[in-house]
Amino acid sequence: MTRLLDETTRQQVQKAFDALSQPVAVIFFGSRDENCPYCEDTLHLLQEIGSLSGKIELILYTIENDLQEANRYGVELVPGIIIAEKKDGQIIDHGIRFSGIPAGHEFTSLIRDILMVSAGNSGLSAETRRYLAELVKPIRLQVFTTPT
Amino acid sequence: MESNLVIAEMVEALEFPNLSMQYGVSGVPHTVINDGAGEIVGAVPEAILIEKIKEILADETV
Repeated sequence: MTRLLDETTRQQVQKAFDALSQPVAVIFFGSRDENCPYCEDTLHLLQEIGSLSGKIELILYTIENDLQEANRYGVELVPGIIIAEKKDGQIIDHGIRFSGIPAGHEFTSLIRDILMVSAGNSGLSAETRRYLAELVKPIRLQVFTTPT
Repeated sequence: MESNLVIAEMVEALEFPNLSMQYGVSGVPHTVINDGAGEIVGAVPEAILIEKIKEILADETV
C-alpha cells in the first residue's frame, strides 16, 4: 500500500510523539465506501499516525454497525474522528472531533490535538479556563476548514 | 478539555457541501456556534471567541 505520509513528515511526527506522556485514543468512524469517498484514505492516515507511537490506540467503528457508539459521541458525518484521553483503561472524551479527512493544515491540527490531549493541557489562558469551568450550558463549535 | 459541555469539531467544508451551504460558509475558517446561533468568520483571538460565546449564551436565556 502506498504511504500517505512522506518520510520527512513521518520523522517529524515521530519526533513530536516522543513527547507523548498519557495514552491517547483515536476513535475512527467510517462507513461503506459508496457512502464515504474519504473514509479509506482517512483510515490509512490514522493507521500510519498510530504506527508512530505505542501511546496511540486506534479504535475503529462503522457508523451503520456501531450505532450506540456513534450516538455516544454524536457522530453524524463520516469519516469522523474523536481524539480522547485514555486513562486507567477508560476513554475520557474531551469533545474533540474531526469530520472529514484531516489533510493539509488540519493534519497539523490533528497531531497537535493528540499532543495536547496526551499532555492534558489545553493551552488556554487562565481566564478562559475559569469561564469554561463554570459553564452550565452546552457549547458546540464547528470550525469549517478546507484542506489547503 | 476544560469543560465537559464543550464540543469542538473541525469540519472539512468541501466534503460536506450541504452543511457548508446551510451555514453559508464561503471562506475559511468559519466557526458555527451552537448550530447557527452565532458564527465567526476568520480566525480570531481566544478572548474574542469567548466574548462571542458569552453573547450567545446570554441570548439563549431570553
